[in-house]
Amino acid sequence: MDYSNLRRQAASLKKGLFDQGHLDEQFRQVEDLQDEASPNFVEEVVVVFFKDSGRLISNLEQALEKYPRDFNRWDAYMQQLKGSCSSIGASRMKNECMSFRDNCGQRSVEGCMGSLQKLKREHAILRQKLESYFQLLRQVGPAGAATRPAM
Amino acid sequence: MASSLRALLVEDTAVQRMVVSAMLRNQFHCETTLAKNGKEAVDMFLEGNTFDIVFCDRDMPIMTGPEAVVKIRAMGATDVKIVGLSDDDNAMEAFISAGADDFVPKPVRPETVGPMIQEVINKKLEQLAALA
Repeated sequence: MDYSNLRRQAASLKKGLFDQGHLDEQFRQVEDLQDEASPNFVEEVVVVFFKDSGRLISNLEQALEKYPRDFNRWDAYMQQLKGSCSSIGASRMKNECMSFRDNCGQRSVEGCMGSLQKLKREHAILRQKLESYFQLLRQVGPAGAATRPAM
Repeated sequence: MASSLRALLVEDTAVQRMVVSAMLRNQFHCETTLAKNGKEAVDMFLEGNTFDIVFCDRDMPIMTGPEAVVKIRAMGATDVKIVGLSDDDNAMEAFISAGADDFVPKPVRPETVGPMIQEVINKKLEQLAALA
């Protein structure tokens, strides 16, 4: 297997994530926390992030339907998601969270709906790109033989 | 920077618990205990656990950070350094009013937390020196 080519692909993918604004410096801070004792830490954090964020988005969608115009409730869900996005450096997702909260502040249902759709798109894009990235890393590194955690 | 501080991290969001606790353990060598909300944190103190430093999120289910801080201080735990955490800068006032010593904006960065941890280490060393 051409490991050097795979490593180049992984590096290029990661660079793209930063250049396109999907990730910010906080992701590097998370990478700095990975060590020999926890060699898959970053991927583990990302798996938990997508599990939690998927749940929060689903809860928010239900709340939008069940509690119409309850901007305080909607905002509370989004505040939690924004915090998670900030903690891993999911920059574009975080920006959409902030946009949603601004729309809550302006009591704009249409604005909230629009922000949520954009957030879901960013969520899907980031998930797909990070899945590809970690798949490449697994092929090139010692963790390549590890069982793929469900995202 | 090495320390053997006992830290309590009170945070309801799993991702943030993972990242901050890893930072406290790996970068500051803190013995870190986790609580998922203010009530769990208060219960730990009620059970007789002691900590050198507490990092506490604001918005949590069951009991918020400031509510927990009030209760912890009311128990007589006045020596422990309590640091509020939030991505809302307005949260600082709520934490300080509740009895917290300091506030750190999220996302939590090592360069922000480091001086606080060093301050607690220095205080412990002074206390040890006074006993000698």
